[in-house]
Amino acid sequence: MRRIGLGGITGSPYAFAVALVLMVLLLAIPLTHNGYIEIVFRGILMYATMAYGWNLIGGYTGYVSFGQVAFFGIGAYCSAVLSQMGVNNLFLDVLVACAVNGAFATLVGLPVLQLKGHYFAIATLGIGLAITDIIANLDALGGTSGLRVQQVDEAHFSVYYYAMWLVALAAMLATFFIARSKLGYAFVAIRENEDAAAVLGISPRRFKITAWAISGMMAGAAGAVYAPANGFLDPSIAFSADSNVFPIVMALLGGIGTVAGPFIGALILAGANELLQRYFIKIHTLFFGAMIVLVVLLLPRGLVWLFGLKGGARTWLKSLTAYKA
Amino acid sequence: MQLLAQDLVNGILAGGILALVALGFSLVWGIMNIINLAHGAFIMLGAYVTYQLYQSFHIDPFLSLPISFVALFVLGWLIQRYLINWVARAPILTTFLLTFGLSLLIVNLALIVWTGDTRGVTTPYSGANFTLAGVTVPWVKLYTLLTALAITGVMQLWLTRSKTGRAIRATSMDIGAAQLSGVRTANIYAIVFALSAGLGGVAGTLISLSYALTPTMGDPFLIKAFVVCVLGGLGSVQGALIGGLVYGIVEAFATQIDVTIGTQHISGSGLQDAIALVVLLIVLIVRPTGIVGKATA
Amino acid sequence: MQYRPLLVGALALTVALAGSSATVQPAAAAGDTIVFGSPISLTGSLTKEGHLTQEGYDFWKNYVNAHGGLKVGGKTYKVDIKYYDDESKNDTSAQLAERLIDQDHVNFILGPYGSGTSFTVAQIAERKKIPMVEGNGAAEKIFNQGFKYTFGVLSPAKRYLEGILDMAHSQKPGAQSVAITAASDAFSQEVAQGAAAWASAHGMKVVYNNKYPDTATDVSSLISALKQTNPDIILNAGHVQDALLVQKGLKEQNVSAKGYGYTVGPDTPDFVNSLHADANDVFGAAQWSEAVKYHADRPGFYKTAPEYARAFEGVYHHAPDYHNAESTAACLAFQYALQNAGSLDPEKVRDALQKLDVTTFYGILKFDSRGLNVYKPMVVNQIQSGKLVTVWPRGLAQAAPKYPAPPWGKR
Repeated sequence: MRRIGLGGITGSPYAFAVALVLMVLLLAIPLTHNGYIEIVFRGILMYATMAYGWNLIGGYTGYVSFGQVAFFGIGAYCSAVLSQMGVNNLFLDVLVACAVNGAFATLVGLPVLQLKGHYFAIATLGIGLAITDIIANLDALGGTSGLRVQQVDEAHFSVYYYAMWLVALAAMLATFFIARSKLGYAFVAIRENEDAAAVLGISPRRFKITAWAISGMMAGAAGAVYAPANGFLDPSIAFSADSNVFPIVMALLGGIGTVAGPFIGALILAGANELLQRYFIKIHTLFFGAMIVLVVLLLPRGLVWLFGLKGGARTWLKSLTAYKA
Repeated sequence: MQLLAQDLVNGILAGGILALVALGFSLVWGIMNIINLAHGAFIMLGAYVTYQLYQSFHIDPFLSLPISFVALFVLGWLIQRYLINWVARAPILTTFLLTFGLSLLIVNLALIVWTGDTRGVTTPYSGANFTLAGVTVPWVKLYTLLTALAITGVMQLWLTRSKTGRAIRATSMDIGAAQLSGVRTANIYAIVFALSAGLGGVAGTLISLSYALTPTMGDPFLIKAFVVCVLGGLGSVQGALIGGLVYGIVEAFATQIDVTIGTQHISGSGLQDAIALVVLLIVLIVRPTGIVGKATA
Repeated sequence: MQYRPLLVGALALTVALAGSSATVQPAAAAGDTIVFGSPISLTGSLTKEGHLTQEGYDFWKNYVNAHGGLKVGGKTYKVDIKYYDDESKNDTSAQLAERLIDQDHVNFILGPYGSGTSFTVAQIAERKKIPMVEGNGAAEKIFNQGFKYTFGVLSPAKRYLEGILDMAHSQKPGAQSVAITAASDAFSQEVAQGAAAWASAHGMKVVYNNKYPDTATDVSSLISALKQTNPDIILNAGHVQDALLVQKGLKEQNVSAKGYGYTVGPDTPDFVNSLHADANDVFGAAQWSEAVKYHADRPGFYKTAPEYARAFEGVYHHAPDYHNAESTAACLAFQYALQNAGSLDPEKVRDALQKLDVTTFYGILKFDSRGLNVYKPMVVNQIQSGKLVTVWPRGLAQAAPKYPAPPWGKR
């Protein structure tokens, strides 16, 4: 039976081309002059960025993190604090968010990335939750009441959409170039066999921290644009469980460790969520839970992998029992 | 001084329940290497079983313990056999997300059945207490602690003395060798998961005596279960017990931190979650195998 | 050329587009119906309260439609309300408000439940210049932002516990010391701060003032510390769950105070049903109760609280609590403002709301320059022998307050 690998380093190149075309198409969204559609797609781009970030540390490097929301939230608060100080420039927001998150990831990564598997996952979960609580208790950052963030007026509101689009594009391209570079190979080497990689001269510590820092910067950039787009920030918004779980499910749905996967996953999951909201107002969360269960069981490697699979349905069916006890 | 003694007692009483909550969670994590995010939902179901029995048939909560255990045991068995089994050896991401989705399903089903109304189980003897050496001890909390201790004791004995118990421990140590010795691992996994669910149900029953019931009531306990497990040591009964007690005591003492610097109020009570999580992180980094320190896979 | 990736991509885009443009119904017929939009919490931590809000809104809608509709500027309209579930999440509520405005083309917004959600939705209302009236977000910060399009019919958060303190202070002998416990959410914190400020300003000593996270599973140590300070009055600002935890905890540790007051809890049937005799003599802060003696000064709806309550109970089979009433009141504000404005134009309606001054079964509906109803007093209820009665202010009371409370074990 064919060994279930992770779809190569970049995944199907055709899928990537398709993803790029879709991205270009998305530039047309603001032309609909429908604020809500813009919100949905801005959210898709935001989640896609975070999915790319998670993909880098979880998919390529194999360190499954459940705390990426911490970076998102910190990035968002960077924007909010800058706004409180009178600075309302999206470029600066993203830059500061990246700097702060890069530093934070490096600092925290030094001890935490020594952990493996479950322990690492739990540690990241703990970091996410701890940061939420600490900020909720800090009056200087608004506590649980939160902070208001300056916004542009209604006429220019699409600027947030384009900013998020740029951030998502950057994340996608960054993943593409990293995947084809020595950096990408180092990440995958660490995932496949960390000790062997060390023996071959790849310093796991340096590369793990790099992966986490870049991943944190992606999430932070998304948060930095989100804060002014939303106009308001409090711990429950900045560090929501949705922001934590959605990107992971999206990456899984689309295809972990591929370049097109996170984006495709974001499109489908967000769209499905909206449809569920429309048709099942009271029980949409129920269906969402069912959806996650089905995705996990039926698409262990995501759609991009599935559609690039040789052997089609039979190989897929065989893959379903690969992990049975 | 008296306050400190009271805090200690409060902490121990609270810790007993946390130990029970963590026990089931820890078994599945330590033996099956699965983090069951639906454990909070199992606790919630156990609480609602007790509530329903008390409401409709006036069955005392303590008497409903075996019923909630059996009910959740069966449910856990079914879930493991027909759902979790498919991905029992999958990477953590898969099981994590699967149990997360499962948790959403169960909680939302509960929301439909019982609605979001807050319920409570208040018996005539609730609130009764006695005072010893200036320390007030509520009877219900004391009984809860004793029950929790009894159950952990029984679990420990069963795991070390019974045939199935030994098979379980063998599986967790070396699955290959266990299989060679004739252990049917699929069955073992089912038993462990079912047991964990049953323990969750029992914890829920005891929790329902003090804590308000809503479909999402299990979430805070789940997070504490994480910390307790890591603190005490995975897959170990003593670990869950010690971790739970330590956690309860630390949380109780932390509540006494109550200072205001300028306009910033530093409240140990308000920060209790953050404190717990920081403790979690420190333990993970310094001594990941926990206080009791059982080596895991 | 590989077709599969193309298929996946096309599928993904279609799903996303379909989802985002899915509407609840075709664009609101501007013709004969005034459509209100409301994101409310049908799931999540605030499910119960969201349903109460929906009941309040729907009750008004059905009444109006059954009584010939709403006459605005010479034309008669039917009324409809579109709901979405915000899952008790602040930013989801805002996004749904935007959906209601941009996609479903609603005329006006009826607020969600909760201060957090009301705040984010108010921002949207402001940006889109669509008037919004809410009855369930009492945090004052909503109204300190300079918003012009949001109006709240309820009394602000910081006044919630004032009534209880006022009552306790007026007794002979009056209460001297207060202990306050509060959940860490924004609303509860505002309530606590307001209570502490009022107490200090009126010569009462705040002997304990601490908070706990929403996720607290055990408050015993908080209560132990509180017990040491021997307060006359114990106040709690939180949610039903905390109220139950605290009340049980107080009994368990034998903490006897002269009065116990909760922001949320006593007014919900859950409190009495869960605690039975232990719930007696507890005070609750309420925005409204069936006992208030207001008499509406304009036609178009029930004139008195008892009338409203009877009719409400006939439909929903439970007595209305203040969440129901304040939601209905929000609708009434729109009703009278629309009639005053004589038009559906958002600007005219907004101005009419700002100038509104009418007495209803709920109380006076009048807004200060910030849009907040500072003119309506809070009501204090007390659970006496398992039943909720209004005990303060004296002019509205059904019964005298029972103070001090007997010690545990003698109820």
